[in-house]
Amino acid sequence: MSTFTIPVGPLHVALEEPMYFKVEVEGETVVSLDITAGHVHRGMELLAMNRNFYQNITLTERLCSLCSNSHPCTYCMALEKIAGIQVPERGEYLRVIADEIKRMGSNLFNAGILAHIIGFESLFMHAMEIREIVQDIKETIYGNRMNLAANCIGGVRYDLTTEKVKYITKQLECLKKSLDELYDIYTKNKFVRARTEGVGVLPKEAAIHYGVVGPVARGSGIDYDVRKKSPYAAYDRLKFDVPVEEGCDVRARVMVRLREIFEAIKIVEQCLKDLPHGPTCIDYLPEIPAGEAVAKSEAPRGELIYYLRTNGTDTPERLKWRVPTYMNWEALHVMMPGNKVSDIPLIINSIDPCISCTER
Amino acid sequence: MSSFLKIALRNLLKGPSTDPYPFGETFVPKGLRGKIKYNAKACIACGMCEHVCAGGAIQIKETADKSGLEFIVWHNTCAFCGLCEHYCPTKAIRLTEDFHTAHSQEDKYRYVERGFIKYVTCARCATPMVPIAPELMTLAYGQVNKDIEKLRHLCPKCRQKQSLR
Repeated sequence: MSTFTIPVGPLHVALEEPMYFKVEVEGETVVSLDITAGHVHRGMELLAMNRNFYQNITLTERLCSLCSNSHPCTYCMALEKIAGIQVPERGEYLRVIADEIKRMGSNLFNAGILAHIIGFESLFMHAMEIREIVQDIKETIYGNRMNLAANCIGGVRYDLTTEKVKYITKQLECLKKSLDELYDIYTKNKFVRARTEGVGVLPKEAAIHYGVVGPVARGSGIDYDVRKKSPYAAYDRLKFDVPVEEGCDVRARVMVRLREIFEAIKIVEQCLKDLPHGPTCIDYLPEIPAGEAVAKSEAPRGELIYYLRTNGTDTPERLKWRVPTYMNWEALHVMMPGNKVSDIPLIINSIDPCISCTER
Repeated sequence: MSSFLKIALRNLLKGPSTDPYPFGETFVPKGLRGKIKYNAKACIACGMCEHVCAGGAIQIKETADKSGLEFIVWHNTCAFCGLCEHYCPTKAIRLTEDFHTAHSQEDKYRYVERGFIKYVTCARCATPMVPIAPELMTLAYGQVNKDIEKLRHLCPKCRQKQSLR
């Protein structure tokens, strides 16, 4: 059988973001893979060093639209660690709410794109319509459909009134009903199952070897979640499960994402129920001393790590972050070989790559 | 498969779920972060908005004739993050629900929100200064009585002298 090299990308109909894959195929089967990154480099680490701490909240939020709450949240946590700021309890709960609402939107988006890639367009449209419920929450509570602008140094910038709490509860009830239906389709529909089962297998040993994080790790049976292992904000006071699947394939990963949405709803409802009274944010302008800190959080795609070093001025001396996709895309070397050419976009989508975060 | 057919049929009967905008109404919640509105009367020219603005969309500078300060927001540079509103002590800067940002190319450089703060002179030494907004007085003193009200018309130096007396 003859061997070919197929270039996929940097611009390709099946890719949402620019990324270059050189795929070696034998007949119709993928043999090996070469990944070349760096097509959307924006020099954001240097930009961050030229802006003051406040401006960087907005800058980190614009890294990528789907993780746009995790980035400023983790950045603020690193700052708070250096300056020794204690976030008010209400602020911590509100941070969790913002985080989980973003997670719902992000995971629904990825599940929808999966339907789009396997050619089930009506299911894709339906998933996106369900996501619209979450988008409406974001727009009403935060004032924007993607960039929530919820975080600031020492707390959050928004507050929930009783009406807003009622509104979220109502929307979540609506979401739960639609989500049950959607979950049912993803588990039972034979077309979805035929295209996703046994595709892009990442065995548990390989997952550990590559150090994958987030839903990719949990889809391969690794029970690792930053919210449980090193809780931040109010996660240590909340009860929730971490969904883990043993399937190791594309299907397992989408199941983890869908089940995570149910958990996210549970978390938000708990937060709304025991939302403490008090301020949402510190009421003074903090002074940031020289120092360094590492903060991490669980973004919708996995573990997000921020490193920040300050020197007493109001601009960071160094700001560096490691995003989940950085760990996950290396695992494509294991997932891809042995699969059909038509499954390439599906497998790429299953790690939910966020190229704009990774290349910054 | 039948379960999805049911959903598809239901969605078909429900009709389009998109808003008919711009031919009809669209969903605009209260608190949407849209175009900035600036109130020069409440502004104390502390420059915090300019300091926190990530895009560098806000500028406060003295006019050429030195009669006051000019405030500009470039709407084309603004990221609508709302940090300026959050850190403004007197809430002189505010994000409105107006999200209509389409404009013609020729209006590109005129698409700004402007404000002008005219200097007032100190009641005692007549040096020009930024007028002190009543919003700041209530923020600093809570209840503003007549004695405190007098301080409003003094420059920082004279105010210090007056307070120490």
